[in-house]
Amino acid sequence: MHDILTTAWFGLMGLMLAIYVVTDGFDLGVGILSLVTKREEDRDQIYTSIGHVWDANETWLVVLGGAMFGAFPLAYAMLMEQLYPFIMLLVACLIMRGASIEFRHAAQHKRGWDFVFGLGSLGCAICQGVVLGKVITGLAPGGMAAGFTALCAAGVVAGYALLGATYLVKKAHGPLVVTARRHAVASLFATVGAAIVLSAGTLFSSEIGHDRWMDPGVLAILAPLALLAAFAAVYVLYALHIGASHGPFRGAIGLFLASFAGLAVSLFPNVVPGRLTLAQAASDGATMAFMLCGIALIFPIMVGYNLYQYYVFRGRVSHH
Amino acid sequence: MHEATLLLSRAQFALTAIFHILWPILTISLSAFILIMEAMWLRRGEVVYYHHVRYWSKLLVLNFAVGVVSGLPMEFQFGTNWAPFSRFTGAFIGNILGFEGAMAFMLEAGFIGVMLWGWGKVPRKMHLFATAMVALGSTISSIWIMVANSWMQTPAGIVIENGRAVVVNYMAAIFNPSMFQSVAHMWLGAMETGLCVVAGISAWHLYRRRNPEFFARSFRVALAALLVVAPLQVLVGDASGAALFELQPAKGAAIEGHWETNAAGTGASWSLLAWPNATEQRNDWSIEVPALLSVLATHSTDGTVTGLRDIPKEDRPPAIPLLYYAFRVMAGIGMLLAALGIWTVWSLRGTAGRLTALLSRRKLLLAWALCIPLPYIAVECGWIVREVGRQPWAVYGMLRTGDAASTVAAGAVWSSMAMFLVFYTVLLAAFTIFVRKWLAAGPDLLQQPPKE
Repeated sequence: MHDILTTAWFGLMGLMLAIYVVTDGFDLGVGILSLVTKREEDRDQIYTSIGHVWDANETWLVVLGGAMFGAFPLAYAMLMEQLYPFIMLLVACLIMRGASIEFRHAAQHKRGWDFVFGLGSLGCAICQGVVLGKVITGLAPGGMAAGFTALCAAGVVAGYALLGATYLVKKAHGPLVVTARRHAVASLFATVGAAIVLSAGTLFSSEIGHDRWMDPGVLAILAPLALLAAFAAVYVLYALHIGASHGPFRGAIGLFLASFAGLAVSLFPNVVPGRLTLAQAASDGATMAFMLCGIALIFPIMVGYNLYQYYVFRGRVSHH
Repeated sequence: MHEATLLLSRAQFALTAIFHILWPILTISLSAFILIMEAMWLRRGEVVYYHHVRYWSKLLVLNFAVGVVSGLPMEFQFGTNWAPFSRFTGAFIGNILGFEGAMAFMLEAGFIGVMLWGWGKVPRKMHLFATAMVALGSTISSIWIMVANSWMQTPAGIVIENGRAVVVNYMAAIFNPSMFQSVAHMWLGAMETGLCVVAGISAWHLYRRRNPEFFARSFRVALAALLVVAPLQVLVGDASGAALFELQPAKGAAIEGHWETNAAGTGASWSLLAWPNATEQRNDWSIEVPALLSVLATHSTDGTVTGLRDIPKEDRPPAIPLLYYAFRVMAGIGMLLAALGIWTVWSLRGTAGRLTALLSRRKLLLAWALCIPLPYIAVECGWIVREVGRQPWAVYGMLRTGDAASTVAAGAVWSSMAMFLVFYTVLLAAFTIFVRKWLAAGPDLLQQPPKE
């Protein structure tokens, strides 16, 4: 029973993290791209495209934090304590971003806020990549782990930029769409490149990773996921090539979800490989069951009104 | 080494909590006020209500932004700075914070976009629903936070296994002995804040005779609500105080500077003002009213009130003068606000609320404007009483604060705290600049409501 609940929570948190990474991924991504967007009216579009949804997107991270604190308190305590500087920097970058989005509306001189917004977005992506890298390398010290972590950070930045660029392809209008297409191609190659190097690194230099991946049962799931990711990447290129408006973003989401599922399968049943398993980190059964009643039941409602908000603000951003 | 980290982690938590609470208390009440105005607009169809909704929403969006971003450090700090606390309480506190995120934050965030930017894109009733969900979300958030905090004050429904709290009775843990008064006290405090802000800003404009008809309307609505909320808060405060002496005698004795337990058959005297001296274990001086402390604490003239001397030194709260005066400031403001409401009604009696009468009460209007900071100060003092008064415990009677802190490097905590201090200064400065612009601009009375 405890195992089932633990797995259920791993699944639910995985789902919430996937939603977070895709949704906040694209709005952090447009933030990163705003750093290389020269014209003020293009930056206006960037803000308008995410103004109504960024807060809800970011809230998935807060929900995840609470859920992890309750369902896997030992994992929450270990990661937060050991990754202190990166978590604090992440919080700092989230503050910079959130404040700049709301205050920019009211400001007359927007350049300063634009810079804070872009820098905060880039910092968030880097910190999240570092946390990911540290988790995968089991919080191990040393040069190899640091290199792996740095590459993870680069991969997350590139991946978010890809989501952001393809989102702008479907939301923006005018010259910004053209630049967004160019950024989408560049960030796609960077993302795929980082993913390939990171996978090779896991296979050849991580004992735990290598063992997990060579397990026939795991391989049977990972191989199709890798194929799916490859297909999604090619589809993004194709959709950009034919000038589709929605295709590139959908393809980028597919690429993210396939990679994410592969990562979850690789980590399971660990939270921090070699340091902490899910079973060790989990709360007692009663808490997990009670939380599941409270959160899983309203999960579809949460998704529902989030989708409604996207529906209300559908279509390309309007001219002012 | 660990002592320094502990002290810094406590200071950082205090800094982030003291800064953060300023914003949600206005979000909770201002969103409720906007909801009332929007409901009136739909019901009565007078465009002035629509203008009120749009006008006060501009303040809400500025306030909401700072509230959201300053809340982020709170969510992660339990783990970063208080990892042993997280391991010990995760099964309950983590659970409740998870509920808060899923049931409250997401509700607010999921509808704030429609509320602020959805004009003309959704039907009017749907917009009202979005406003209602934002108001409801912020209120639910306050409920779950107070459930978590009241459990830290009066833990119940758990057993300790392998050094971790395991919940055995959820109802007992959620509805712990101080839950109801904690939720009510905080929610009413939040309501008082927003209503005072609306009444104060309206009074300021009335005082300067700018858009008097517009601001008279918001002043009247806020005043009517305050006349209910402020006296209710005095009653709830009194009930919380009485419960406190039963549930946390050390905190009760500390906020009243009460050292000696009164002998059977005699009443404990209450001091209006005093200077508590922890070294000498007595008050250096005091102005006392006989037997009143027994009445306040036990609602009887000779009820026994345990003094600090009868509580082991290691279980007494620190900074007793701070607790003593923070409590007095909070309670004093609570009564002042109730009195201001009554004075206003008295002063306006027989005028049928005519605008000319309201505009002629210059001192009254000025008093309302000057009262804007008071509820904020009261809320901060209340939290100081609550949290400093719970010391030396993180979870009362179960986990000492000294055993609850992470073992991170003191330098790391220094750095993050300095960073938050800089950020908060910038946030506060930016907020102040934008609010001043908003105040100077006044309402846009030409704005046309969106078509159905």
